[in-house]
Amino acid sequence: MLELRSLTKKFGKTVAVNNLSITCKECEFLVIFGPAGAGKTTTLRLIAGILQPTSGEMYFKGQSLANVPPEGRNMSMVFENYALYSHLSVYENLAFPLRARRYRDDEVQRLVQRMAGILQISELLDRRPGFLSGGQRQRVALGRALIREADVYLLDEPISHLDAKLRHRMRGELKAMCAEKDATVIHVTHDSREAMALSDRVVVINKGRLMQLGSPDEIFYRPANEFVAGFVGEPPMSFMDMEYAVEDGQPVFRISENDVRLPASSEVEAYVKEKGPPDTFRLGVRAVDVSASPSADEIHNVPGEVFVTETLGHRNLLTAKLGKNLVQVVTPPELTFEVKDTAWLDLGPDNLHVFANGLAIAHPRPRTS
Amino acid sequence: MASVTLEKLWKKYGDVEAVCGISLDIADGEFMSFLGPSGCGKSSTMRMIAGLEEITSGNIYFDGDLVNKVRPRDRNVAMAFETYALYPTLNVYENLAFPLRAARWSDTDVDKRVREIARILEITDLLDRRPTHLSGGQQQSVGLARALTRAPRVFLMDEPISHLDTRQRGRMRAYLKRLHIELGYTMIYVTHDQEEAMALADRVAVMDLGLLRQVGTPDEIFHNPADTFVAGFVGEPPMNFLECEYGQEEGRHVLRHNGITIKMPPHSEALVQRGAIPQRVTLGIRPFYIDIGLEKSARHTIPAEVFVVEPLGDMTVVSANVLETRLQIVTAPDFRAQPKQTLWLAFDPARTLLFDAETGHALTNQA
Repeated sequence: MLELRSLTKKFGKTVAVNNLSITCKECEFLVIFGPAGAGKTTTLRLIAGILQPTSGEMYFKGQSLANVPPEGRNMSMVFENYALYSHLSVYENLAFPLRARRYRDDEVQRLVQRMAGILQISELLDRRPGFLSGGQRQRVALGRALIREADVYLLDEPISHLDAKLRHRMRGELKAMCAEKDATVIHVTHDSREAMALSDRVVVINKGRLMQLGSPDEIFYRPANEFVAGFVGEPPMSFMDMEYAVEDGQPVFRISENDVRLPASSEVEAYVKEKGPPDTFRLGVRAVDVSASPSADEIHNVPGEVFVTETLGHRNLLTAKLGKNLVQVVTPPELTFEVKDTAWLDLGPDNLHVFANGLAIAHPRPRTS
Repeated sequence: MASVTLEKLWKKYGDVEAVCGISLDIADGEFMSFLGPSGCGKSSTMRMIAGLEEITSGNIYFDGDLVNKVRPRDRNVAMAFETYALYPTLNVYENLAFPLRAARWSDTDVDKRVREIARILEITDLLDRRPTHLSGGQQQSVGLARALTRAPRVFLMDEPISHLDTRQRGRMRAYLKRLHIELGYTMIYVTHDQEEAMALADRVAVMDLGLLRQVGTPDEIFHNPADTFVAGFVGEPPMNFLECEYGQEEGRHVLRHNGITIKMPPHSEALVQRGAIPQRVTLGIRPFYIDIGLEKSARHTIPAEVFVVEPLGDMTVVSANVLETRLQIVTAPDFRAQPKQTLWLAFDPARTLLFDAETGHALTNQA
């Protein structure tokens, strides 16, 4: 429905958005996810028409948006700085987009009350924005954007300033509300859990460039490159630098500065045969994909030195040292390790991501619960 | 290093009571986190310990010596902030040595100390480099190292890593904890991030509205919270609460939530025997300890209507309504359900907590 073709935006010499091509489908919840300075907000502003692209094109339902001014695009946007009317009460701020479209008073009242209830700001309706906390203002801004019908909703970090509990709650409310009205949403965030929880598909960008576009499962289980792998998921994926070798006819990975050998999978062998050894081979380990044991056994056969353990309540987080690499592993609360003990890890090829020159060439086998 | 004792400590700003008579013993070499929402008084408490804030009433002792009147610079406390400005013209070694030379340490002692800290933080290879030739992560390690070189009596940190990204934060957390284990400093760490407080500390002091709500090990505050505030603040997703009435059904003691019957947890038996269960009880259950059934069964007896399903990769969070109450359930990563679908829930009885609905105080301790 909304198509960005080779979109580029430069500010002077800085390339904020670099040759970005993505398509947002009708009724889709699309999340643009990336670190600070990735070009997320710039992309959203280009879509809204507040900024003009340096090059590239945008189409809405097949029609070029090149000469359509912002007010000609039926898009509703939440700005990161809220942009509320300071002289109007919360009620009137929420009512504004409806009154502008000549909704009847009783309809305005019904919709405002309902939105305020969902966002838990009913008791604030008489106040002016100046008398609200940052988190309260942010919810008013979100409500004002979602209260009216629009072809596309553009949300720039709409719940980032809420405290953890409220953010959790509002994440669910936002997802339910958008699903109920079959809204087409483009949502910007730097929070990986928010991106995963809300989206139908995620656009991962870094330094203005598209890193991967896929469903939450795809970017989590099959990240295309080290950037996506390391940026999606909590605790973040651990990486290990490896040397590839063939020993006694078997392809293996050697951990730098360590005697440990890990069997390399057939995908890795095939890659090397075809393209030759890459400059860097790195293994990616998700803390939830591997387990640790205080003693060696058939699957826990890679020794690491316990660097530190952290108690998180329902589970613990073990950080182990393998050569120069730190690897994090989620462990059950009843299992305790002491610092400098040996923890035995199950770093089999089925549990690891493999990256050659930063690009993924193998992923863990899918697990079923 | 020193032990720190707070005795009926108060801080008022005009009419505002920021800290309301808290008493706490922090052992020599202990890592204590102060955890609470903004405005709970945790930073004011730390600033009083540092001597940066006048004490309204009460006492602070280091190793049993009253320090109320001791000037900040004579207390020998170190305070770490989030940003560490490194000297760009000095190499890493000299950056680390700087606070020691300023304190007139001998060259031999400086060298020994700098190399020890560098070894723990794994920056020995970087000692000859200038800060501008370091990556962002390396600069943070060096900054932390410099704050830690001088051995103060008490080391104070106020949200030192809260603005780092997830990856750097996790890394610095691990190094900070390892440093504490190796150096044995007395550390006081202020944060609003419950996971950080749990991960780092020997004990966590949970504060709210200027009051100390609970002091305990991470396991204690997670599994046996003293009241509904601590229970709701610690853990993510947060603990679920369900208002219940205590009663009897066919000779059994049960909890009822608007007609839904819920088993009493086994650890509440002694309380039942004593007749000490109030009429109105708040049931608390963490999202990790609820099991989902697709059909009603002997175990899955609590009906819930799906509100929203959030797949997070390593788990799926289901929000569902039990009548009017929204609960969150953590379940397998591949679990999916449709909004409005009915699920049948089972609370793990051993993990079910009971609170007095009137006061919010915990009624039971988990085994």
